[in-house]
Amino acid sequence: MMKRFFIFLILAIVGYYIVDVVSQIPFGENRVNVGDYYLDKSPSELKVSNTVTAIVVNYRGFDTLGEVTVLFLAATGLASIMFRRKRKGEKDIRAKKASSRIIQIGSQILFPIIILLGAYVFIHGHLSPGGGFQGGVIIATASLLMLISYRKFKVNHSTISWIESIAGIVFVLLGVTGLILGKTFLENFLPTGELNNLLSGGIIGIIYVAVGFKVAAELTGLIDTLLLNNRPEANKEK
Amino acid sequence: MGNALTYLGYFFVSIGAIFLFLGALGIFRMPDVYTRIQAGTKASTLGAMSLLLGVAFMEPDWWIKLVAMILFIAFSNPLSSHAIARGSYKNKLKPFSQEDIDAYEEVKEKMEEKE
Repeated sequence: MMKRFFIFLILAIVGYYIVDVVSQIPFGENRVNVGDYYLDKSPSELKVSNTVTAIVVNYRGFDTLGEVTVLFLAATGLASIMFRRKRKGEKDIRAKKASSRIIQIGSQILFPIIILLGAYVFIHGHLSPGGGFQGGVIIATASLLMLISYRKFKVNHSTISWIESIAGIVFVLLGVTGLILGKTFLENFLPTGELNNLLSGGIIGIIYVAVGFKVAAELTGLIDTLLLNNRPEANKEK
Repeated sequence: MGNALTYLGYFFVSIGAIFLFLGALGIFRMPDVYTRIQAGTKASTLGAMSLLLGVAFMEPDWWIKLVAMILFIAFSNPLSSHAIARGSYKNKLKPFSQEDIDAYEEVKEKMEEKE
């Protein structure tokens, strides 16, 4: 009985203070000016027409570095848990028969087109919607298409980790170069160019190309790990 | 001249909208996988292509991108529906039919006879 009383007492106190704080915030009034600042400054200061990119890569560049690291850790963790060599008598969980010739030829034609689209998306990240993450995911779907349609399509994991490492190093080096030149980490040090040009926005374009390569390599390795993993329970049923 | 092109564009866009609607209706009303694939692919391929063609007539500056999209749809849509239909045949999904007809099996037998 006492216990219940104290629970209700604490709840009442917490509720009172929450209501007290919330009631002091005027309704429908924007007290945060940072959004207006970004909208104002990103075209004039950085010459970036896509404000989202300006925020993600420049104003919040450090967070993006963290996000890339999180993705890298996720891919590495998944690989370390799932990846193992094939034991004797185990079979792939991939389809036993090859897909039809129509799909094979079609995916051969579609594969470069999809990669081209992904590259377009991450190269134009500072001009149009999209960016490094989105372009990388598009490229990873291209390799998923090849993995589905060809049973013998192999992903070279050492090449993938090389691409990943070089892209990550480029990202960090760009940030450190800013520090060396007497600015903050990941601050822009290249000439910004003109608005709406491909060569504009300083280091944003280079960072997004690096991020695109990194995400594409990581997700390709992740998909391959998931497809090639041999589940013992899947083999037992047959 | 520009006006006539705009009206031609309206014509193609309306055709595309009608076919897309019929395709969506077909996906709801058809009884089994194979007929649904037919409704969803044939109608929506023509619908989307016609719609993009109409937009190309209305905005002549964009025609290169729109033609590229039309080609992509003409290429990828039949391909994916082929994959779905083949997958469902291989998994022995029976079509909605009273009679026991399997044309694909007959064709396969004929091909084997030729070889």
